[in-house]
Amino acid sequence: MARDLRSNGAYPEGSSYASFVRKRRRTGTFFRTLFLLATVLGIVILAVLILDVANSAFGYVAVQNRVDPERLIDSYFKQQMLSMPRTVTGEDDVALAEGVAARPGAIGFFGYGYYQDRADALRGLAIDGVAPAAQNAADGGYLLARPLFLYTSQSILRSQPQVSAFVNFYLNNAADVAEEVGYIRASQADLADSLALWERAAGLTASTADTLFPASGDIHIAGSSTVQPITRRMAERFQAELPYSGQITIDGGGTLAGFERLCRARDIDLADASRAMERPDAAVCRNNRIEPLAFQVATDAVTVVASQQNEFLTGVTREQLRQIFIGAERWSEVDPSWPNTPILRFIPGEASGTLDFFVAQVFGDSLEELPKEHLLAILSANISAGRLRALNAEQALVERTQEEIYELVVSEVVRPNVVESWSFTESLFNKAEIEAEVATIPNAVLEFKAWLNWDFVTSPQSSNPTLAGIRTAILGSLFVTLIAFLVAVPLGVGAATYLEEYSKGTKLDGIIETNINNLAGVPSIIYGLLGLAVFVRFFGQLTSGVAFGAADPSTANGRTILSAGLTLGLLILPLVIINGREAIRAVPKAFREAALGLGATKWQATWTHVLPNAMPGILTGVILAVSRAFGETAPLIVVGVSTFIVVDPSGPFSKFTTLPVQIYQWTSRPQEEFQRLAAAAILVLLFLLITLNATAIFLRNRLKRDY
Amino acid sequence: MALNNSSNGAAANGKYAAEAHNLNIYYGGFQAVRDINLSIERQKITALIGPSGCGKSTVLRAFNRMNDLIPIARTEGNVLFHGKNIYDADVDAVEVRRRVGMVFQKPNPFPKSIYENISWGAKINGYKGNMDDLVEDALRSAALWDEVKDKLKQSGYSLSGGQQQRLCIARAIAIKPDIILMDEPCSALDPIATLRIEELMKELVERYTIIIVTHNMQQAARVSDYTAFFTVTPDRTGYLEEFGVTKQMFTSPASKVTEDYITGRFG
Repeated sequence: MARDLRSNGAYPEGSSYASFVRKRRRTGTFFRTLFLLATVLGIVILAVLILDVANSAFGYVAVQNRVDPERLIDSYFKQQMLSMPRTVTGEDDVALAEGVAARPGAIGFFGYGYYQDRADALRGLAIDGVAPAAQNAADGGYLLARPLFLYTSQSILRSQPQVSAFVNFYLNNAADVAEEVGYIRASQADLADSLALWERAAGLTASTADTLFPASGDIHIAGSSTVQPITRRMAERFQAELPYSGQITIDGGGTLAGFERLCRARDIDLADASRAMERPDAAVCRNNRIEPLAFQVATDAVTVVASQQNEFLTGVTREQLRQIFIGAERWSEVDPSWPNTPILRFIPGEASGTLDFFVAQVFGDSLEELPKEHLLAILSANISAGRLRALNAEQALVERTQEEIYELVVSEVVRPNVVESWSFTESLFNKAEIEAEVATIPNAVLEFKAWLNWDFVTSPQSSNPTLAGIRTAILGSLFVTLIAFLVAVPLGVGAATYLEEYSKGTKLDGIIETNINNLAGVPSIIYGLLGLAVFVRFFGQLTSGVAFGAADPSTANGRTILSAGLTLGLLILPLVIINGREAIRAVPKAFREAALGLGATKWQATWTHVLPNAMPGILTGVILAVSRAFGETAPLIVVGVSTFIVVDPSGPFSKFTTLPVQIYQWTSRPQEEFQRLAAAAILVLLFLLITLNATAIFLRNRLKRDY
Repeated sequence: MALNNSSNGAAANGKYAAEAHNLNIYYGGFQAVRDINLSIERQKITALIGPSGCGKSTVLRAFNRMNDLIPIARTEGNVLFHGKNIYDADVDAVEVRRRVGMVFQKPNPFPKSIYENISWGAKINGYKGNMDDLVEDALRSAALWDEVKDKLKQSGYSLSGGQQQRLCIARAIAIKPDIILMDEPCSALDPIATLRIEELMKELVERYTIIIVTHNMQQAARVSDYTAFFTVTPDRTGYLEEFGVTKQMFTSPASKVTEDYITGRFG
């Protein structure tokens, strides 16, 4: 007789039932929260990982060129100019002026002052339609105008009132004195800027400048001899007109010597300069804790002149100047309307700053835009004959494109070198510190560098981190994965079909099955050893292509893409089989029965109904397997992947490297720059894997929609 | 040796479409059915009934060698089809199934279009006639044409359960079998759909021999001409308890066990 289950308290009722339900709900909530947290944690960890990698792949770098590309170009064109026939060089500008004046077929250039002296016999040529006149030079329209400077530093101005007073006097009278000694006055705006700079640096205003007098103490000046006449005249007037009782010494030595003495030797107060301070000069100053101040005091215009007797030259273009001074032998070569007579050239000598300036202004292209023949000449002039032969042997230099030659010049001559690098967060938050650090590195420039960029993806490997790329590795990875795919998918799906559809469960089938399941758990390095023993050693003749007559002597040892692809194919085969079997097993039995019930053969039922319905599941397995192959490193190292290779794989019998191996190789190097390259390569690897998987998932979903 | 179709073999074996002689079927060491002797009359509906586990489905599947698909199954005895034992070594199961079609318990159209569901069987069996006509013919025979003629390109799974089952019947008819085996064809369907299938069976029996397994005794009584009642021994081996004309069996069964079952006293 059944007991009444309601009355004896076997089940909780009323309020105790309500609390019982609440308790069960709490358990549910607890686990739901736990799983949610686990999911969130997983996503956060993944995001942090990717961000950390990305953080290393972008940031500031200090780049040091072994050779400054600008100087490379300048010295090349300078040598070209000096080696042209019928070219007279001389340090004496007066002699050059006389030489041009006397010859109708001559052309030359020198300072504006010397042209003014012989304006009766010389004709100053307009360049690109701008005449060498004072106004054009001052407003910057004239190509060969250059500012002249006086350099000092704030600490000198503050600690030595007599220097401060002299600079103030200099700037107030610069316009007049410049013209007085044959130069072009600086523009009003430039002089006003210079005065404003003086006020800020000296901590005084125009009205309080008088407090500096009476002044005493010596003033030491050195530097450019071009600026010297102005400075000398200024010193005379300063001593004569103002209450100053001290000595002013003025030395020459050139602009560079002036900078050196101002910043390194620190034995002068002011430096005359015919050019602005460049990066290396500024670095010297900063290293000695001197913040240089530049005051523009006048303008010079290098003037291209012809004789008054010349009947065809009135103006030239920049392009014509290039031809006249390099390349052309006769005037008619430059312009057909000009006479067929030889060009006679009168130019300042090799040591002259004027020549440097002329070259920089007229020929100063960026290296990248230089025509191929010039790049070739620069290349051969700057590398050893042996290296040149080696490059020529790789591919004849004359056959290479301008772009390739440019890259050679960069990698062989300029040799940019990242000497220091910072992560993205460091770049963002410690910019001041980084700048200070870069200032202590000679010749270094601070640049923001994305280590992951198009060049990185398209360049081959290099031992110089600035030039290194992963093209070879990407191609190698794709090639090896493709072979692994071609091996593993047909074999794997075939084996899965056999085991699921045809296997009769015999002992042999059982052994095969157990083996496959165990193979899926074998460490990948073991597959590497297997690949080494079987594909590389035993079948070396086949995998190196010798047997097909396709052997490249350097790769004939079997360490080829084919060996690696076969090894990885074996590695992922169990994955494909196991997932394929699951997928085939998941196809409803009803489909098989329906097909067989209609008189279909086993194969017809399998091919038309089982495999198509299993395809999405099989594809899932294949995606997993291919991703595994793509990211595998250890077996490839055993099989004999090349860790440093710059030649793209050309076929299954090529040597190769893969992306993960490349990353591994970079991370194992001590230099920080290679770690950054590795980070960039990791991003590429992730991107490729995600693209690969997304494509496969897209395909899978499309197949799924069909029924 | 090829099995003969009724149309060209003529009255090769007179009255019976198929005959089972001393049929014993084993699953591994377990005997599923014992000593079955059953003669299926041409163009009649024979119903196989009995309690769960009595082996009626196993016997049904023995008529087109579907049991071969179960690796551990073993069949002894003969099933004669036009006088030829289909279990002879020289008979291909594929050919048997071509002659003896089957409709399953759960509607199982292919995940393909309605049209392809019909045409595929014809195609693999080497049909050379006009496919559109065959599809229309089969669908009309299965009383489905009017419902699907405008959506032949749609998936078979877009149909309702009853329509799907009729599609499966059409698919079986399309290859022109002699016998159609139906394994509880209505157990997954609602009463109205069931009724339509039963009506269809009555139409089909004018051209085909039908063997149906059913749990539903009313159904057996309604549609079948002959009924075979199976039951089990205590060691769960099925055997044929009684076989006869349906009307007679449902009104005056010869055996006590049959009577108990039919009147609902067990099973």
